Amino acid sequence: MIKITDLEKYYRTEEVQTVALNKLSFDVREGEFVAIMGPSGCGKSTLLNILGLLDDPDGGSFIFNGIEVSGFNERKRANLRKHNIGFVFQSFNLIDELTVYENVELPLIYTGVKAGERKERVQQVLEKMQIMHRRNHFPQQLSGGQQQRVAVARAVVNNPKLILADEPTGNLDSSNGNEVMDLLTELNQQGTTIVMVTHSEHDAKFSHRIIRMLDGQKVTENILAG
Amino acid sequence: MIRNYFKIAFRNLWRHRSFAMLNIGGLAIGMTAGFLIFLYVSFELEYDDFHTKGNRIYRVITDVKTPTETMTVSNTSWAFAPHLEREFPEIESAVRINYLSMLVQHGEKKYNEDQSFAADSAFFKIFDFKLLKGNKNTCLQAPFSLVLSETAAQKYFGDQDPMGKTLKILEEGYPVRITGIMEDIPENSHIKGNMVLSMTTFTQSIDKDDDPDNEWGNFVPSAYVLLRKGTIASALEKKFSGFIDKKVGQSLSIDQMSYSLFLEPLDKIHLWSDRGSNDKGNINNIYVFSVIAVFILLIACINFVNLTTARSVERAREVGIRKVIGAKRSQLVMQFVGESLIISILAFFITLVSTRLSLPYFNQLAGKNMDTHFTFSVSHIFTLLCVALFIGILSGIYPAFILSAYRASRVLKGKFSGSSRGILLRKGLVISQFVIAIGLIIGTIVVHHQMHFMQSRDIGFNKNQVLVMNTGVNHAQKAFKQNLESIPGIASVSLTSAFPGWSNNIAYSQIENNNGDFQKANIGIYFVDFKFIRQFELKIIAGRPFSEKFATDTTQAIILNEKAVKSLGYNKPENVIGKRFEQWGREGEVIGVIKDFNFTSLQNEISPLSLRIEPSRTNFMAALINSEDIPATIKKIEDKWDVFLPQKPFTYFFLDEYFDRQYRSEIRFGRLFLSFSILAIFISCLGLLGLVSYSTLQRKREIGIRKVVGASVTGIVNLLSLQFVKLVAIAFLIASPLIGLVMHYWLNNFAYRISMEWWVFAAGGIIALFIALVTVSFQAVKAAMANPVKSLKTE
Repeated sequence: MIKITDLEKYYRTEEVQTVALNKLSFDVREGEFVAIMGPSGCGKSTLLNILGLLDDPDGGSFIFNGIEVSGFNERKRANLRKHNIGFVFQSFNLIDELTVYENVELPLIYTGVKAGERKERVQQVLEKMQIMHRRNHFPQQLSGGQQQRVAVARAVVNNPKLILADEPTGNLDSSNGNEVMDLLTELNQQGTTIVMVTHSEHDAKFSHRIIRMLDGQKVTENILAG
Repeated sequence: MIRNYFKIAFRNLWRHRSFAMLNIGGLAIGMTAGFLIFLYVSFELEYDDFHTKGNRIYRVITDVKTPTETMTVSNTSWAFAPHLEREFPEIESAVRINYLSMLVQHGEKKYNEDQSFAADSAFFKIFDFKLLKGNKNTCLQAPFSLVLSETAAQKYFGDQDPMGKTLKILEEGYPVRITGIMEDIPENSHIKGNMVLSMTTFTQSIDKDDDPDNEWGNFVPSAYVLLRKGTIASALEKKFSGFIDKKVGQSLSIDQMSYSLFLEPLDKIHLWSDRGSNDKGNINNIYVFSVIAVFILLIACINFVNLTTARSVERAREVGIRKVIGAKRSQLVMQFVGESLIISILAFFITLVSTRLSLPYFNQLAGKNMDTHFTFSVSHIFTLLCVALFIGILSGIYPAFILSAYRASRVLKGKFSGSSRGILLRKGLVISQFVIAIGLIIGTIVVHHQMHFMQSRDIGFNKNQVLVMNTGVNHAQKAFKQNLESIPGIASVSLTSAFPGWSNNIAYSQIENNNGDFQKANIGIYFVDFKFIRQFELKIIAGRPFSEKFATDTTQAIILNEKAVKSLGYNKPENVIGKRFEQWGREGEVIGVIKDFNFTSLQNEISPLSLRIEPSRTNFMAALINSEDIPATIKKIEDKWDVFLPQKPFTYFFLDEYFDRQYRSEIRFGRLFLSFSILAIFISCLGLLGLVSYSTLQRKREIGIRKVVGASVTGIVNLLSLQFVKLVAIAFLIASPLIGLVMHYWLNNFAYRISMEWWVFAAGGIIALFIALVTVSFQAVKAAMANPVKSLKTE
């Protein structure tokens, strides 16, 4: 599903150039659950942004679903993204002015799904995430765990093939964190590919494979027994 | 999708209520001010536009030339209109209007009707003043016919039907028959009046012996002509000189005079005419106010853009999320423009309400009487809505593009801070706001300084404590005068045909000039009595004043002002003494010269003037009061009046008030200018307040760190304020020369004017700086006093 080869990304300030990704290569098969680990500043988040088509690499190749996407313009990337990729963030990133229901509905609006179908699908996913009873609440009225479940619901409502999770349990206590990890595992079991950036060895164990990075390069790759 | 935008927009406004109030409030205030000015301007521009034949109606105006000067007058002599109509087939119809101050009686009711005029019978056929009762073709045909406005009808007859009833007019008490009732003349008509008397009352009856219809030299009535369809006014104008030659060429050439007639389009009279009319407007003021309106709207728009872009940091995260989950840039632009449209539409509704509430005050301020019907006409509301939508889009589009351009990958990581270009732009916008605000402050100071100058300047005569009455010339006048002089508290009483501020007669005169020739000129004339010069404190600079000791002073003497003496070519005023004159049937010698005094507004240069003793023409009585108790003195005067002049209602006015009335439109202009300046500054400050609160919010961490390492509260307030002081200073440097130029141009309207001194500019800058500092320091102190631990924690 994902094949990156010699991926490069630099950040430039006036005087220094920092290498964020240094000829990074790996692939992710469809249905896989991959965890990416490494110390702060090793390039994990940069990688995730590129995988999520939020950012463009400076060099190398990125093949998504068999299509070379590096060099796509903003519009093409946005289009590809909204149909295929869901995001889960450490800080949830829900829109404060929208209710739970409306937050989850938003991606469907942007992909042009009709109102009737939207209602059905939002309800389905909210029930699945067990937050239906909170559908008319605003994000700040929910606990962290509940907010992350809404975020996950929003990420999956469009049935994306790939979910990118950026430290999804980083702002949660352990029981809420485990709940979210269970949710992701369940989604993975239903066929969704997941790439997760994490600091937590505990969370990483939920994945099939751990890629460890340092200074923009892959250092090790452990395959875990499913 | 649209519903989602609306939802977000409304919830956003609600969540940031104070911000929304600043934004919507500032915009609504700006739009209200702009709308009121727009109404004022369209009210002025729509003067006289309700006549269906308006594009064919012209006022006939005249230039009267003598070898030395040209008099430009707004009226004609009596004979012009009827003869023009007869002579030129291009003229379908003509009407003369002669304004009257007419005594009207009905039983016990007795009023002096200043708002009345006599008109020829074509009046209601040419103009669209609506007759409610009576026949428009015949109601002004017969002598002693009178058409009343609804208001006048109500005043004299209450709920009775006035048609066919009679009123008595003039001091002689002529009975006149009511032959028509007209709707009250609209506010935006330069022809004004409550009653219309048939012109034939004078031409065929009262003044029949003078044969007014063939009177060519006495310029009194206004004349209007209705041209036939397809007539080109300028072509017709060219034929007028032949007409004048034919009718009066011979007598004019003897007098070395000439008349030129011009046609002035009806719709140009109010604003564009260089000659008088009722309640005359001023196109320059219209331009000035239009510019101010645009400026105020601009300031409001700038606020909008500034506040919205300043808040962009807060909304960056939302943009990021939306992009991540699939929003296209165009959709985001739509969303943000939509939001600003919602704000502008809310401001639109508030504007409607605030306009309704402020209309009475504005009318008072502007001296207009715009009703709600006019104010909220469909076209005006539609214009306002369009402006609101335009502002919404204009102000929304820039922030929308800024916001939608954020890169999701960066803003979601919190790596975002306002771009330096954005900050520069906001600074530029604040500077332009203050350029406008400072310009308006300086402008206001200049306008008020000039007003004060005009009202306090030594105008060369005494206008204080002088009570003026129109007694008319009659037998009782002399006795009344003698009785007034005996009242303690009245220092002196004099008689005159005119007084400063009142339009005096102009007389065709021949006076021996420096070369010994009889110089022909039209010069102003005051018919006065022996006391006039002393009572009005006019200064004799050569010769002597009128004196009862010289019997010839009543029949053969004239006194001139300096200006007249100069126009005759004399270097020294003494040299004119003893020179011969001929004027309006009178011959004699110049006996004295008075120092120039401003007998018209200070907008005009002093013109040549002559004074003569002539008791048969002195219809005004001026009493100089030296009593402390003015009301009691007035009561005593009234008691005497009722004894000697029982046929007339007692009316009077004070000379200083009457004279200052000439500056009414300038005073109004000054007041409007002041009001709008205050508004402009207020809106600018709203924007500044919003901007400062956001900039301190963004610098919270910096302020916290500075405090931790030892900065004082004063130090931090200075730090935060200094950046805005710089902006105001730059604005001052830009505004000063610009407004200096504009006000220089404005002051050129006045013959007697102030010079703009440096302190005017300095004061403007200091006021703006002070207001800005107060606004800024409010927020700055709050930020500086905050606990640094808190602000560092939240980062």
